[in-house]
Amino acid sequence: MPQAEWSSAELKQRLDNQEKLFMLDVRNRDEFDLWKIEGAQKIPTLNVPYFEMLEQGGKDDMIDSVVAYAEQALVQQLPKGQPIAVVCAKGGTSAFVAEGLRKLGYSAVNLAGGMTAWGDFYEFKPVLESSSLSIYQIGRPARGCLSYLILSQGEAIVIDPLRHTEKYLDFAREKKASIKLVLDTHGHADHISGGRALADKVNAPYYLHPYDGIHPLDVLPAQLSYEFLRDGQEFFIGQSKLRTIHIPGHTLGNLAFLLDEKILFTGDSVFIESIARPDLGGHGETWAPIHYRSLQKIVQLPENVLILPGHFSSPREANAQGLFAKTLGELKKKNEGLMMAQKSEREFVSYILSSLPIFPPQYVEIKRVNAGLVVPDEEKAAELELGKNICALSKAYV
Amino acid sequence: MNNQNADKVLDARGLACPMPIVKARQEINQLQPGQVLKVLSTDRGSVKDFQGWAQTAKNLQLVSQETQNENGKEIYVHYVKRVS
Repeated sequence: MPQAEWSSAELKQRLDNQEKLFMLDVRNRDEFDLWKIEGAQKIPTLNVPYFEMLEQGGKDDMIDSVVAYAEQALVQQLPKGQPIAVVCAKGGTSAFVAEGLRKLGYSAVNLAGGMTAWGDFYEFKPVLESSSLSIYQIGRPARGCLSYLILSQGEAIVIDPLRHTEKYLDFAREKKASIKLVLDTHGHADHISGGRALADKVNAPYYLHPYDGIHPLDVLPAQLSYEFLRDGQEFFIGQSKLRTIHIPGHTLGNLAFLLDEKILFTGDSVFIESIARPDLGGHGETWAPIHYRSLQKIVQLPENVLILPGHFSSPREANAQGLFAKTLGELKKKNEGLMMAQKSEREFVSYILSSLPIFPPQYVEIKRVNAGLVVPDEEKAAELELGKNICALSKAYV
Repeated sequence: MNNQNADKVLDARGLACPMPIVKARQEINQLQPGQVLKVLSTDRGSVKDFQGWAQTAKNLQLVSQETQNENGKEIYVHYVKRVS
C-alpha cells in the first residue's frame, strides 16, 4: 500500500536526499507565485489551482472532478512510478487531489498540513557537539530563518529564537539543559521573535540592544521589557565566552555575537551568499554607510572564524551536512556583498542601494509585534509570517 | 456592495477548503441564470479562491465580496451570480 501522506519532516528528508519527486501545487496562482517549496535541486513543479480541477473536471464531487480533470489534462504532465507530492494551503484539499490521482495509478502523496505545516516546520542540526560545548542551528527551512542554541554543562543560551517557543523548550528538555539566557541579535522585520515569550517560559533574562527597542518608523518605544545589550558585553557559558559586537546597519541596534573568538553569530549582517539590506527601518540611504563601517569590524576578524548567519535565501547555500555555515575567509572571496564591503564606502553604498529587493509591507507591522506594540493572534501571526524572508540583498540570487 | 440581494444563501461557515467552493458550485448549478448565491465562509483563503474560481467558471460572475465581523470572528461573504 503506497503512502497516503508525508509530514513536512518526511518531505524535507526526501528533498535533502535529492530523491526524485514531482510537486503538484493546487493553491491559487497568487499564493503559488508568492512562495513554494524549494529544494537544493530544482524540483519539477506544476501549479493547477484546485478550483480549476473542480470546474473543468465538472463533477459534483471533488475527487471525481480530480479524476476527470487529470484524465483530460494531466496525463502528459504527471510522471508515473515516482512520488508526486500534492500541496495546498492547509493540507485538506490536497488530500482529495492526491486520493483522486491514486485512483488513476499515480503515486500521489499528500503533504500533511500543507504550506502552513511546511512553514512551521523546524529543524535542529548540530554545528558542533562535544562534552564541553555544543552548538545547534535551528531553522525553519520554508522561511529561511535560522536561530541557535549554545549548550554547555546543562546550560543553554538561545540566540534569535523563532516564534514557536515550544520547539526550543522541547529541545532543551531532550538535551537536559536549562535555558539561562535569551538574546536577539536585533529587532526582526521578517519574522516574529520568540525571544520575550521564551524567556518568560524559562524565567531567563531577554536581551536586545536598546536602539532596537524603538520602532524605527513609528518612533515609539517597545511595550515589552528587555535587558539592554551593549557593544563589548560578555556572557559566559561553561568554559566559553560570548562577546557582543555592535554592527548597526540592518538595524541601529544590530549585533553579532562572537563565541571564543572563533564562531560568529552574525544575525542579519553577513549571510552565506549575500549580506543584509539596510532599508527595512525605512532609512536605507542613511544606514547604508553605517552598514559599511560595521561590516569592516567583521571583515577584520581572523579568516578561520566560522560564520553562522540568521538567514538563508536558498537551500542550496547549505553545506554537505545541511548546515548554513562557512568560514569568514571563504565568504570574503565568494560572498558578493562582503566582497563589495572590501571596496570603498562609496562603491559599497552605490552597490547596496541598487540591489534592494521589494520591501514587504507587512515587515513594518512585524517590527511592531516584536516591539510589543501590536499583539497578534495565532492566525494573524501566521499570516504576517507567510512566505520566505527577504532580508538579504537580491543581487546574489538573480 | 452591501446587503446584496441573494436568491439563496449557502452557510459554509466552519467548512475547510475545498468544501466552500465544492458546495457553492453545486448550489449555483441549481439556480437560474441571473440569480445570486450568497456564500458565508470562515476560511480566509476562500477570498482569493472564489476570485480564481469565478475566472475559471464560464457560467458565473463574482458580484462582490465582503468581510463581516461576527463576535470577533471574521466571516467572508461572497456573492456569486449565475450568468448562463
